Formats: sequence, C-alpha cells, structure tokens
Amino acid sequence: MSGRILLSAATESAADRLCATARPVAGGTDLLVHGLDAAPVNLVDLSRLAGRRRPVSRLPNGSIRVSATAPLSVITSADVPVPAALADAIAEFASPQIRNRATIGGNIANGSPAADLVPPLVVCDAIVGVRGSGGRRDVPIGDLLVGPGRTTLAPGEWIEYVDLAPVHHSGFRKLGYRRALAIAVVSLAWSWTRPGSGPELADVRLAAGAVAPTVVRCTRAEAALRSLRPDDVGAAARAIQDDITPIDDLRASAHYRAGALAGLVCELPMVAAHRGGKTERL
Amino acid sequence: MNVNGTAVTGYDAGARLLDVIREHLGLRGTKEGCGVGECGSCTVLLDGEPVCSCLVLAGQAEGREVTTVEGLASCPAGARLREQLVDHQALQCGYCIPGVMVSATAHLSRTEEVTEESVRTAISGNLCRCTGYTKLVSAVLTAASDTGAHS
Repeated sequence: MSGRILLSAATESAADRLCATARPVAGGTDLLVHGLDAAPVNLVDLSRLAGRRRPVSRLPNGSIRVSATAPLSVITSADVPVPAALADAIAEFASPQIRNRATIGGNIANGSPAADLVPPLVVCDAIVGVRGSGGRRDVPIGDLLVGPGRTTLAPGEWIEYVDLAPVHHSGFRKLGYRRALAIAVVSLAWSWTRPGSGPELADVRLAAGAVAPTVVRCTRAEAALRSLRPDDVGAAARAIQDDITPIDDLRASAHYRAGALAGLVCELPMVAAHRGGKTERL
Repeated sequence: MNVNGTAVTGYDAGARLLDVIREHLGLRGTKEGCGVGECGSCTVLLDGEPVCSCLVLAGQAEGREVTTVEGLASCPAGARLREQLVDHQALQCGYCIPGVMVSATAHLSRTEEVTEESVRTAISGNLCRCTGYTKLVSAVLTAASDTGAHS
C-alpha cells in the first residue's frame, strides 16, 4: 500500500476545511511528475469540484469567469468562449492526455516561469479567486507570482477560479522544441484594442514566459508598441530587452532567448494580420 | 471504479491508476514508459477521455469508467483499428501501440471528420520511436474510412 491518504472534496467548503491539513491536487500532472514518493502523504482531490460549476461563464461586469479546477479540454469546449490568447495557449499545452487532466489552478500554483497559461492570464488582467479555511480573497495574477516554483498562496489556500477582463484582440505564441509536450523556450502573449481602422493600437498588454524568474508583464515594450508600423514594432522589440532577465539553462541560452523574444515581437503584425479576426473570440 | 465494464474494489486509492491496472488487476496491455506523462504508453480512457494513467491517482478514478486497451476489443472502432494496424504493418517494437490505440480509438469514436491533421493531433501525446508515425497515421485514416468518419 502507498500509505497515502487521498481525501475527495465534494464541495468547495469541504475543500477549504480539508486543505488546512493536506495538500490540494487537481489534475496531478505536475505533482506526479516529481514522483509518487515525493508527493505529500495527505492529499485533497479537487478534481470532483469541476462538475459543480459551469467551466466558463460570463459575469455581469463583462468579465469571463473560468474554473480553475476544470480540465483544460473542458474549458475550450465550453459554450462561452475564452479569450483567444488563452485558447491559443491551451491548444498548444502539453498533449491531449494532459489537457484532459491539467487545470489552470495547477498551472498557476506550480509557479513555473515557463507556465503556458500564465502569460495569457496576465494580458487579460486576470483576478485569481483564492480561498481556504481562512477565507476568500481575489488576487491580481501578478501578485501571486514570486519566483520559480514560488507563489504568494498561503498554506491551505487553493484556487477556485480566474476572472478575465474582456479583451478585443489577443493571442499567444510559444517557441519550443516540438509542437506537443514542449516546455516553452520563450513565450509571448498579447492583447490590445484597435481604436481606428489603421495600425494604431491602444490598451496594449504584453507578457513573456521563460525569460525571467516569473512570467513578466513587459511594460516598456507596451509603451513602445503604439502601432503595428515597423518603426514602433522595432522599438518594442528593443524595449522588451529591458523588461526581461533571461538565463542560460538546458533549453536555451539567455542570448538566444533575448533574440527569440525580439523575433516574436517583430512577427506580431504578421500574426495579427493572419488571424484576420477569425480566432478573435471576444 | 469500473474497468472495462467490471466493478473493481479493494485497490489503494493513493497508488497510481497505472499500478492498479497492471499490478492489482493484472491487465498488462497498458505499458509504463516514462512515468512522467511524456510518452503516452500508459494512456487509458477515463470516462471516455484519454489520460496518462501514470499521472492519475487511483482514488481520482473512483466511481468512474476506465477503459484500457483490453477493453477496446469490444468496441467496433477499436477492432477496426487493430486490423488496420496489422494490415499497415504499423508497429515494430509495439511498446507504444496500446497507448496509440487508446488515443486513436477515442478520436475515431467521437470525430465526424477525421483528417490527417486531426489524427496527428490526437496521437501527439504518444511517442513512437520506431515507425516515424507515417504508417500509424495511415492505419488510423483507413480505419476511419471504414467507419465513414474519414473525410
């Protein structure tokens, strides 16, 4: 016998109570990768909570509420669409088998700087619904991210949902070694509005993955990207270098990451044109 | 949980579903490859959806339907796919095949328009180091045309 105790949370309030003394697990696709022996002895299964709520719903203020305990494949097949950036990231996330288990809450809590779902959440100004036996709090996604594998989640807290601001245009691209099951070498999510019919942009938000200790909002590049004209795009590609602090690791050098991210910025006009509104779900 | 339609009890809820299937139930068709969700050899259906059984705790499958490669024999799409894999000589060492069969059968069972791209996406979580995938994809597409799902 494993000696492990897996308690199933049938309701949200039961999860609050059980998480006070045991570690929450939903899809388990990060927890079990580190090996069963490394997993905590006492676990609370949150995966059965997903069926109690709609995976995606529209709030009265126009935000989109996405379940943090529902499998990713359930989220993209829901009747309410999620912003294109998140849909793009889910489509490229790991593999079909992993998408049938993995959750947004797990991707946030795992705290990886290369987490695929976090850059889209950042450019959609995500508010994360956190709860536990100590109560509930709504936290801007940026305030949860501290460093590799570290978040500001307190012991006993778990993530119930994320609320995404409605965005007009958004997307996500990832560079990896292959299309499936690739951890990002560099990733970039964006959102903006188009005030006129020209190349001008407003409300630009950019977030990059795998180029800093956490997923980072790239405010200098945002300020430079006033339009999709080549001079503004070039300025943004230069400015983003001051938003990031990449390192060398087994997947790429810091130098490669910096150049590759500049390349993703330079390709934004092409990618935005190619979409032609087809995948702009909001 | 039900495994291939049979109720199963007395398993360790804190063990991996993969170990319950192979050791507790003795169903050795499901293979362990990497054990970390990268290779797809251990793919089974959980309520009809392909999952890596190395990344599911047995207790998470309680009250749910698990289908292993052995359980595909009674499913028409699974039986057709097995024939086509043989006809196309689509396996060499065979270690990945149970996982490929589970992923591909799930795809055939629920997809109206099966295309090469959709097949490649459906089996993108299953590593095969022998075939280069060409014959695997051909076998799945032929099985789909037999069912009328191939566009």
